[in-house]
This record gives sequence, structure tokens and C-alpha cells, in this order.
Amino acid sequence: MRTLVPALGIAVTLGYGAAIAWLYATQPRTLAEIHTGAQVATGTYAVDEPRFQSGLELFRREQFGPARAEWARADPARRDARVQFYVAYAFYREGWGRLHHDDGLYRQGLEAVDRVQALGAPALRVDDPQLGLRTPAELRAELEDGVRKTWSDFNPLRVLEVRK
Amino acid sequence: MSVPTPRAEAGWVRFVFLPVLLLTAGLLGGLRVEPGGDLLFLAPPLVTLVMAVLLLSVCVRARLIRLDRWLGGHLPALARTSHFLTLLALFFATAQAFNSALPERGLLHWMFALFFLWTLWHDQFAPFDALRLLRSVAVLFGTAFVLKHLLLAAVRQPEGGWGRRLLGLVLEGVSLGSIDLPAYAPATGYVSFFTLALFVGGLALLRADPEPRVALALPVPREGEAARPLLDDPRGA
Repeated sequence: MRTLVPALGIAVTLGYGAAIAWLYATQPRTLAEIHTGAQVATGTYAVDEPRFQSGLELFRREQFGPARAEWARADPARRDARVQFYVAYAFYREGWGRLHHDDGLYRQGLEAVDRVQALGAPALRVDDPQLGLRTPAELRAELEDGVRKTWSDFNPLRVLEVRK
Repeated sequence: MSVPTPRAEAGWVRFVFLPVLLLTAGLLGGLRVEPGGDLLFLAPPLVTLVMAVLLLSVCVRARLIRLDRWLGGHLPALARTSHFLTLLALFFATAQAFNSALPERGLLHWMFALFFLWTLWHDQFAPFDALRLLRSVAVLFGTAFVLKHLLLAAVRQPEGGWGRRLLGLVLEGVSLGSIDLPAYAPATGYVSFFTLALFVGGLALLRADPEPRVALALPVPREGEAARPLLDDPRGA
């Protein structure tokens, strides 16, 4: 008893102190963010798979905005490389145009690809037959090509390009 | 069923309950709730760390804490480590209690800070005992709480509450337009109240000497009376 209680006190103090330091360092804005952050910190975080599938159906019906909203709820901490890859892909497809690409959407797509690569998943490969680009590197190249201004943008044959 | 002894209960309070209480005060001290319900965690500003050092120095002078008894070599290493962490938690809670009672920015932040610093500096030279110090701390934080969360919060109300009218009477001719007060939800006041209550409660739970040595009271013989032996002689002599 003489050693158990002080030892328990030390463990509780250090654990609670670390949790407080984490809260002040990460600055969560809501209780839901605290919950998600705690799951990430303890390694119990998992993507909400039904919501992800629901977003995927919306994506296949070309409803990119609602699909991204669904994926944001499925992966609130933005910690899943596959979900973030699809988010980037949704920006690409929504921003793609036969005559003109939407640079704003492409840039947001690039930010999502950055997140995929920051998650340490550059070798990710998504085996979805409906996607023309299967890896973050391919998607990044396509998005970067889209935001870059070159003389080839004025090539009339560009209208024959297909969305991937 | 075993009944915990008072000594065991005191151990639980000192090693587990007290640090948790102080850390909770520290956690809540920087918490603000924005009007939309979003949370904001404000780390303690530098000036609150100075104030915490000054207040803890008064605590040591008033013998609310005796550092030689809390961290002395007579204690086992585990107990000393736990005491050290408790004192760190006390420092954090003190800084955050000031953080909770101080306006967040602007002229009022510095006015309150000067008020606290002046009071704490004055206290360095005042004769204190532990009870008087506790009362003084409760009054100090109570005053700051009322000023910040009742009076100034009322001033901030857009339709001009009773606080604005009262201040208008007191500070006739002084413009309140230059006073920069951030807008927080009323829940912030409740959080601050519990922070300060926990902090003062934590101070009240501190013991100057966490493990007092038991003093043996010897009977003092009256004048003309022979000293009695401590133990009765079993032989009846």
C-alpha cells in the first residue's frame, strides 16, 4: 500500500498531464474533435465504412460535393489515405472541363494528395476499375498539369482529351 | 470487509485526488467557450507564470507548503516523485487560475495584471499564516471573477446591461469604446467559477507537512508531584 498509492498517483498525474498538454497543443474546437483526436492518439481510430461507401455511390453518380461531405464525416481526422485519395479524385473530376479546368478545385485536389503523401502512403494503389488514375503520383501529375499554364492549353485538339 | 484507515485515505487524497484536482483546475483555467459553442484552449500567458511564482512564494512563506517536508530526503523516492509532480500541477493550476481570472487582451488585461502583481508583491512582505493566506487568495480570485465575468461581461452586452449603466456612473466621461473585450459564451463564466473553486479547494487540501511525525505527549508532573512512570510496573511496585 505504501508504494502502490504513490505509484498510482504518479501514473495518473503523468497520464492526465499528457492528455492536457495534448489538448492545448492540438486545440480541438468541439467535443467531437476531442473524441476523434483521442481515438487517433490511442490508435483506435477507424474510418466509418458505411459512410465511405455512401460517399462512393455519390461519387459514381457525379455528385462530387455531397460525396466529399460524406467522406469528411467518414474520416473526420483526415487520417485515411484511401479516403483522402478519393477526395482528391472528386476535386479532379469536378474541376475537369473539356475547354477549361477549374484551378481552384484542382488546387484543393493537390492539397488532398499532399495529405495522402503526408500520411506516408505514397505507394497507395486504389484498384477501382472506374478510375483512370490509380496512384497518388499519377493523380498529382494530372492535377499539376491542369493548373500549369502552357501553350498546349490553346491547342484545339485538347477538346478530344478524356477525363480519367 | 476492510475499512480504510485515516492514514490510507490521506494517502489517496495526497497522491491521487489532489494532483487530479489541480490538473483539472489547470485544464479548465484556459478553456473558453465561443458564442457558437466552439472550444478554445488558451495557454497561460507569460505574466501568469510570474504571478504563479509570486503566489507560490507566498504559500511557502506562509508555511502552507513546507518544501523540506514535501521533497525531503526522509521520504521514499516514489513519494518524493509524486510530491514533485503535485507541486508542478499546483504551479500549472495557479498560472491557469490567473489565466482564467484575467481578461484575455487589451487595456483591461494589463490593468488586472498590474492589480494582481501589486497585490502579490505586497503579500511578499505581509505576515501570513496558512489560514489567512487561503482567505486572502479566495478573496483575490473572487474579486477578479466578479469583475471579469459579472461586471465586464455585463458591459459587453450589446443592448447595454446593468453593468454598462453602473460603469457609466462610476467612470463618467470615460469612453468604454476603447476597451477591447473578446466575446465568449456565458458557459465561460461557469467554467471559470469551477476553475477557481477547484484551485482554492486544492490549496485548502494541501498540508504543510504531508507526513507529520507523531509527537509523543508526555505527562508533565505538577509542582510537588513525583513524576509518574510512563508504563505501569507489571509487578505492581
